[in-house]
Amino acid sequence: MPLWRAISLIVAAIAFHIPWIFTFPDLSAEGHRVFSVFLLAVVLWITEAIPLHATAVLIIFLLILFISDRAIIPLPEEFAPDAVSFGQYFATLADPILMLFLGGFVLANCASKYSLDKNLARVVLTPFGSSPLWIIFGLMLVTAVFSMFMSNTATAATMMAVVLPIIRALPPGDRLGAGIALSIPFAANLGGIGTPIGTPPNAIAVSALTEQGFPIGFFEWMVMMIPFVIIIMVLAWLFIAWFFKSETKSITLNIESSFIKTPAAIVFYITFATTVLLWMTEALHGMSSSMVGFLPVVVLVATGVFTTKDLQTIQWHVLWLMAGGIALGAGVRHSGLDTWLIGLVDWENISTLLLVGLLALIAILMSTFISNTATANLIVPLGLTLAASSGVAITPVEAGVFIAVGCSLAMALPVSTPPNAIAYSSGVISTRNMMITGSLIGVAGWVIFIQLAPHVWELLGLMPEP
Amino acid sequence: MSQQILVLCVEDEQEVRDAIVRDLEPFSGYFQVEAAEDATAAQEVLGETLSKGGLLGLALCDHLLPGETGVDFLVELNKDSRTAAARKVLITGQARLEDTIRAVNEAGLDNYIAKPWKREELQEIVKKQLTEFVLANVEDLLPYVNVLDGVRLLEEVRNRKSDT
Repeated sequence: MPLWRAISLIVAAIAFHIPWIFTFPDLSAEGHRVFSVFLLAVVLWITEAIPLHATAVLIIFLLILFISDRAIIPLPEEFAPDAVSFGQYFATLADPILMLFLGGFVLANCASKYSLDKNLARVVLTPFGSSPLWIIFGLMLVTAVFSMFMSNTATAATMMAVVLPIIRALPPGDRLGAGIALSIPFAANLGGIGTPIGTPPNAIAVSALTEQGFPIGFFEWMVMMIPFVIIIMVLAWLFIAWFFKSETKSITLNIESSFIKTPAAIVFYITFATTVLLWMTEALHGMSSSMVGFLPVVVLVATGVFTTKDLQTIQWHVLWLMAGGIALGAGVRHSGLDTWLIGLVDWENISTLLLVGLLALIAILMSTFISNTATANLIVPLGLTLAASSGVAITPVEAGVFIAVGCSLAMALPVSTPPNAIAYSSGVISTRNMMITGSLIGVAGWVIFIQLAPHVWELLGLMPEP
Repeated sequence: MSQQILVLCVEDEQEVRDAIVRDLEPFSGYFQVEAAEDATAAQEVLGETLSKGGLLGLALCDHLLPGETGVDFLVELNKDSRTAAARKVLITGQARLEDTIRAVNEAGLDNYIAKPWKREELQEIVKKQLTEFVLANVEDLLPYVNVLDGVRLLEEVRNRKSDT
């Protein structure tokens, strides 16, 4: 076993034992147990000593063993009557928000199977001609829109495969190659902010908010986010175009598209369009986005468009990782650990702006180095409790949403997100260029969101009163 | 790179061997490119890589060698479970028809390069064979996007990776 892993596991074991050895005043017995799971999760999610999703199922297992109604070490009597049923912790593996994601995965995997994404990308890119400035714009637009509905990672990989031949055809050392390669992960990360299924942290936030009585609809989330995504994207585009200015005045994109027209593919196109339409019109028909998300699962599996073999290509580990976060959030809330942790600091005299900025900043910093989903899993529950405590100047919606946005704004390093790693693999981007461009976009995004978004949302009536 | 992948050339004439290694230069930062003069020396290099947990990615063999022939060596590799997955290429001018047939049928030969070869042709074939190898045998494809068929690797990355 590598040394790093061994040390991580030892640290995790020590962290896990702290709340069993020491007694913290004002923290309930149940809270101590959840605290030990929480500390273990922090260490394992930061170090990745075991896979992220392994930590997630470990969390679910430990919560069942420690604080469910079937806990193996019996809970003190005053907690036992309202202990959560162990089935509820298992049920996080099929949380409604995960069903929404499952629908997204089925659609995205079908899009790959029937080359819909590649063909659409080429059609959409056609009108952008051959000027590098406009091609980068077109690439960013397509990437951002796709990553709202598919995973940022899948989108970035698809788009990098489209542009790799162009990058390779440029004269050696042409900066334009780096500009094109960087525009894709950044657009994917930013586009992921745009919908609840854009990227897992959004879903973690939506799920926790729904739990606390602040449901956000699919379309409502889009209305809240997309205007700011557009502003940041345009700034990112202009910066990339300026920073990677090159002598090359014209590039040729292979934009031949050949849509597959088999009956199965057509069933998929119709299902895809219907699902997206239903997601956008929740207000008209009242079906929640999770219910709609299950529609493509049922239709595509029943029609055999999505086969049993395809079913095995579903990224179950991402769903598990999210389930671990949802379970941890539920445990933290139920045990009162969140209130205790928040109570360690006096938040009352801190302004809204500072609080919001701080939450988003913590999310950005953490998710620059560790998994975005793990970051959201750890800090969304605390952020929402902070917002719900009396005298604190932010709403739970602001807290949840800004943490999710913060996770997506972290893009300064190749390890920050899988899309960054994919773009970096092209070999044309230096870490330095990624750091400069990525941190500027991250900081600009952070400023734009915290300065503008709360006011705009209030004007639009999207923000419940604190 | 997590796991060393060996590209093994077996060729008895030193000049030819050096030429092959020189043509494989673009791959050397990503793969362990080694040359051996005969099957015995090749087995030694291979044994060392395997004992360190490495994999044989590609065997590029001349046929007429002192001692064991190239085709026999490839057949052996194909029978050994540790090296069966390796891509196997003959690079030769003097293989008889029956040797070649045996290489295809019993060694699972993936390509036949007739001497003299052109550098670009050799590099293209090696790139294609190694792309097939990493697609089938390596989990993290990103380290190879820059040196192999990047488009094919990225299209597979799309199916394997997701947001975390």
